[in-house]
Amino acid sequence: MSTAVNESAPGGAARQAAGLPRLLPAAPEDLHAHLARYGPTPYRGRTNLLIDDIETSGLTGRGGAAFPVYRKLAVVARAGVRQGRKVVVANGAESEPASRKDELLLGLAPNLVLDGLQLAAEAVGATEAHLYLHYAPGPQILRALAERSSRGLDRLAVTITQAPPRFLAGQEAAVVNRLGGGPALPTFQPPRVSERGLGGAPTLVQNVETLAHLALIARYGPRWFRAVGTSDEPGSMLTTIYRPDAKTHVREAAIGTPLEALLGAGADVQAWLVGGYHGTWLPMPEAAGITLDNASLRRFGAAAGAGVLAALPSDRCGLTEAARVTGYLAAESAGQCGPCLNGLPRIAAALAELAGAGHRRRTLADLERWSGLVKGRGACNHPDGTVRFVRSALTVFAPEIKRHARGQCSATDRRPFLPLPDGIPTREEDWT
Amino acid sequence: MNTAFWYASRATGIVALLLLTAVLVLGILVNRQGRLPGLPRFAVTDLHRNLSLLSVSFIAVHVFTAVLDTYVHIPLVSAVIPFASGYERFWLGLGAVSLDIMLAMIVTSLLRGRLNRVLWRAVHLLAYASWPVAFAHSIGSSKDLQQGWMLAVAVGCAMIVLAAVVWRLADAARQVPRAGRVAAVFAQHTASAARRNRGTVAR
Repeated sequence: MSTAVNESAPGGAARQAAGLPRLLPAAPEDLHAHLARYGPTPYRGRTNLLIDDIETSGLTGRGGAAFPVYRKLAVVARAGVRQGRKVVVANGAESEPASRKDELLLGLAPNLVLDGLQLAAEAVGATEAHLYLHYAPGPQILRALAERSSRGLDRLAVTITQAPPRFLAGQEAAVVNRLGGGPALPTFQPPRVSERGLGGAPTLVQNVETLAHLALIARYGPRWFRAVGTSDEPGSMLTTIYRPDAKTHVREAAIGTPLEALLGAGADVQAWLVGGYHGTWLPMPEAAGITLDNASLRRFGAAAGAGVLAALPSDRCGLTEAARVTGYLAAESAGQCGPCLNGLPRIAAALAELAGAGHRRRTLADLERWSGLVKGRGACNHPDGTVRFVRSALTVFAPEIKRHARGQCSATDRRPFLPLPDGIPTREEDWT
Repeated sequence: MNTAFWYASRATGIVALLLLTAVLVLGILVNRQGRLPGLPRFAVTDLHRNLSLLSVSFIAVHVFTAVLDTYVHIPLVSAVIPFASGYERFWLGLGAVSLDIMLAMIVTSLLRGRLNRVLWRAVHLLAYASWPVAFAHSIGSSKDLQQGWMLAVAVGCAMIVLAAVVWRLADAARQVPRAGRVAAVFAQHTASAARRNRGTVAR
């Protein structure tokens, strides 16, 4: 299981806002402990009833897109059962390689996620429930499912499907394609999967953290949920944090928390990465006052995404890090849309050229031009997210680009900092 | 009046052959995701679609004028039922066969959103049978196309279609499967980027 440190645990390294952590217990909780703490799953007895509470709570999707949860619930609830089916999926395919929060959550509090899955299924009137993971399910998950079914807690049996370890495997349409037995590839929308998803049936895909929040709102109500966070973006979110100490921390933070409290902003930090590999580099110390909410992050063109936060140490080369990640993103293109297939490898190669020594003069202009050409032209947001990452790197690491042009680099530590998986997909089986 | 129908039928038949040739070539271009100079890719698809509907309207005029014409007797049902005409039974029968295939392609294309893609594709592949059958019908039943510059036009159509089919097969053979495509493009660009650096980074 995860090697990430649960920083939110009582006695953990972080000082917490009142009432946090909400989602992460200090040690894995089996069904007995879960029931002792929360009581049984609070079914409402009828479809739709929970949706108003979710709307009042202001809960948004924690998979990265921050889409209002009640709107997806309402669309799927309104849609008729098609071909005798209506589907709910708990999406635990944390395909962002730097994110560790979903895996940790499922290991520590599987029953909270499974409660949320059943409650969402009841709210929309689903006929089947799925759990989608990018690894073989761990003992905590299997045990939780077995205990729940022997106690008759789950109204719908949960089918587990394993996702391929691809960056795009957690994208909504890719999830539906994989559950249907095909490769985990995004497709053009509309029709959105909430209208025509698995086998043509209306399908609700929600991130596992979102479902855990939903299960708590069903118990304690929207007012409780809104007690932390900002008024526009209420609640808390799980973050995965990379700091110069080279450990991976998962921490539940109130939305609106100063990023400095999570990442540190000392002289040993040269830049922040917010929102993971589809995210944005922020310059230090200019961005030091920013807070963990999209209203504040937007001023720097950034968004919280799935909560991946990194503080790049001063002794590393940000340009090299950006080039490594962009190479990974280019290789993870599904190869379906021309601008992404042909554009991202060019962009990655140009960035690698900048990260080398003595690049050609026109490479920077080429990068700008290509970035404009691929944006908004994919079936999914992979080209857009990649371009956001690249453009912010060009801005924040502009002095470093000049240095490399002269054949110099400011880094004293050449070890890679941001985590990347090995290997790039070459066969169709890599996507299934 | 009688000869007017006869002339109209011959003329629309020849125009339909030219249109069907264009439709087939455009269809191949759509399949290979090719482009026409100055047009975006989706325009090729639209052109293919619209020209196919235009050719069917020419074929409708072609059929009705031939039936209405009293010079020879052709029953209306022979337009869709093969080999039902006493006059030129074989060659007109081929015309009916190709028209039936075209109608099947149009119906499945209009219902494409509701059909599974494999079925649509299977029916659409029949285009490669429909065009030669329509071509044989044109040459066999029309004295016009058997001589002079009209013969040259007909031969030209056949050459164009043949060339397009050969190009299609060659292009498909060159194609890298989707899963390998990204790795291939990626390897090509990273190799050239490494060559472009003029020095090494000092640390």
